[in-house]
Amino acid sequence: MSEVILSVRNLSVSYLARRGRVRAVSNVSFELHAGETLAFIGESGCGKSTLNLALIRTLPKTGQIDSGTMIYTRRDGQQIDVLKLNKQEHRRWLWSECSMVFQGALNSLNPVIRISDMIYDTAAAHGIPREDARKQALDLLEKVRLDPQRVFNSYPHELSGGMRQRVLLAISLLLRPQIVIMDEPTTAVDILTQRSILDVLKELRRELNFSVLFISHDLAVAAEIADRIATMYAGEIVEIGPVEEIFYRPRHAYTLALLDAAPRLSAGAEELHSIPGSPPDLIMPPPGCKFHERCAFAVASCHTTPPPLRPTHDAACHLVACTESERVLAAQRKIMRQ
Amino acid sequence: MSSLTSSAPKLKRDETASLLIRLRRLTRSYAFRIIAQGLITIWAVTTFTFFLIRLMPGNPVDTYIDALMQQRNLTLEEAQRAAAGIFEFDPDEPLVQQYVNFLSKLVRLDLGKSITKGGTPVLDIILRYLPWTLFCVGVALIISFALGVLIGLAMGYWRGGLLDNVMTGFASIISGIPDYILALLILIIFGVQLQWFRVGEVRGGVDPTIEVGFTLEYIGSVLRYAFLPVLIYVLASIGTWILAMKSSTISTLGEDYITVAQARGLSERRVLTSYVGRNAMLPLVTRLAISVGFVVSGSVIIEEMFQYPGLGRNLFVAIAQRDYTTMQGMFLVITSAVVFANILADLALGWLDPRVRLDKKVD
Repeated sequence: MSEVILSVRNLSVSYLARRGRVRAVSNVSFELHAGETLAFIGESGCGKSTLNLALIRTLPKTGQIDSGTMIYTRRDGQQIDVLKLNKQEHRRWLWSECSMVFQGALNSLNPVIRISDMIYDTAAAHGIPREDARKQALDLLEKVRLDPQRVFNSYPHELSGGMRQRVLLAISLLLRPQIVIMDEPTTAVDILTQRSILDVLKELRRELNFSVLFISHDLAVAAEIADRIATMYAGEIVEIGPVEEIFYRPRHAYTLALLDAAPRLSAGAEELHSIPGSPPDLIMPPPGCKFHERCAFAVASCHTTPPPLRPTHDAACHLVACTESERVLAAQRKIMRQ
Repeated sequence: MSSLTSSAPKLKRDETASLLIRLRRLTRSYAFRIIAQGLITIWAVTTFTFFLIRLMPGNPVDTYIDALMQQRNLTLEEAQRAAAGIFEFDPDEPLVQQYVNFLSKLVRLDLGKSITKGGTPVLDIILRYLPWTLFCVGVALIISFALGVLIGLAMGYWRGGLLDNVMTGFASIISGIPDYILALLILIIFGVQLQWFRVGEVRGGVDPTIEVGFTLEYIGSVLRYAFLPVLIYVLASIGTWILAMKSSTISTLGEDYITVAQARGLSERRVLTSYVGRNAMLPLVTRLAISVGFVVSGSVIIEEMFQYPGLGRNLFVAIAQRDYTTMQGMFLVITSAVVFANILADLALGWLDPRVRLDKKVD
């Protein structure tokens, strides 16, 4: 396994709401290796987006990071804790080391200034000469299969949704960051555009060798693009492991339920399963395993003791927070056989 | 041979066709459309006011006769005889005839002569008083807009801070008070009670004892006399700018592209000016244009109170005396100013916001 470039330990994020503190992300730990793609999956409100906003410390004003460390390894091997950087250092760290492609390309570009000006702004903020930025941008725009000259001088409204998403992808790579966070980059576009964006992304990743933190609720997309998958539920990572492990040998009841809920071509419409109930209240989370209220495998201990995230018996790289993981796996086998 | 002969008329047809295309492109162009629209608006408003002011009770002659009878205790006959010598105006001329005369003069840019001011050309009156109003209200508008936008931006950006809390209250209260009440309050509190200035000395546009000229003394006097009216205009209008800019800033801050700009590592200042400020200001540009249009008419009551030699005070006098031609001229100038300002606003908005540049898309 290649070296670790980002190591997140016990990260907790909360939002202040009228009713109290919403624990949107609690005690999340994971590692990101150089050149790999780690995808976060989970239903809406499970904390995927909050986790990623916290990683770049761009939470809304009501949100705050309660605890945790985020050790980032620079290209020269120097290790820094991103959460301890001051404002100025952090501003420089952003985009040059870790950039982000946001959800909703339509609103991510300032409508009244040209793409070129957004690129120059970004370059100027990091002390890069205009001419270098221009060359780099034109090169990247070509790589994402756009007409570089035309797009470079365009206003956002002159571009289609798919084009804008690719522009964002190009801008995110402008400063050659080691990490690119992608928050649902393909949800707002049609299936063909999605295809071409994923192809472009794979190509760029091969060529430029950056790591990706990929957020998606589309399991098919996550399965295609990711090397490893992390399942999030109620602000926690409940299962993390290589993509084949997660998809073919899920050990957490929630992962299994998610997989089971995804429509399959082979199955009829009547076989779509949803997960009963709704995600728990994050202001007053239930005791024990947060999923036990909706879980088909829950036993008495699930109601009281939260299961720790630990390696499975047969794969050390596959971690799961479920005491009944063997039963889940058996159930999965049964579903597969049908 | 046959191909040679047929090419000549074809060429001609091409020429007429290209002329037609050019003509069509002209009529379709954004600039042409808004200018034509503006001219039609000016004509319609002018026509409307022409008939409307003649529907007011009385006419210049009757009003003058009434005034003579009251002021100098003349009998009706004496007053009528006195009035007949002064007025060139015939109130019994048919309305349509008057309208046609008015329009035919107007296309030659002749606004006619004042009825009550012994034949002074209306254009002269306007040119004499317009600069005062333009200066006084224009300066006030610039100060009010610039300050209001800056304060509103800061309030929206640091929402919930001390500045926001204090200024929200201030702006709400101040924008609810009419300008003439503010003027009275200032005159009474600072002039009469605290005696910071002498109330009698703030009337007028400039100290009449100072010789007119491009001297420091004269300019200083103009500025001193304009200070109170400007202050009152600014106070009366800044509240709305502050509140409009604040709410616009807050809604702009919620946009994704602001978060993206911050995530790109842009400095706070850059985000605040190029991303938040510029975008938040867009909706205010149209409002500014409407205000610019009304700069010309000034504020009738403020100018009357301070005896400021502006267009507003003269309009007030003209209305009281039923001076039809002067009123027409002033309304024309005011209408043109509003229309022109709106055209400017359209162009400015097109410059600030590429999404509304319509003419580019036609080609």
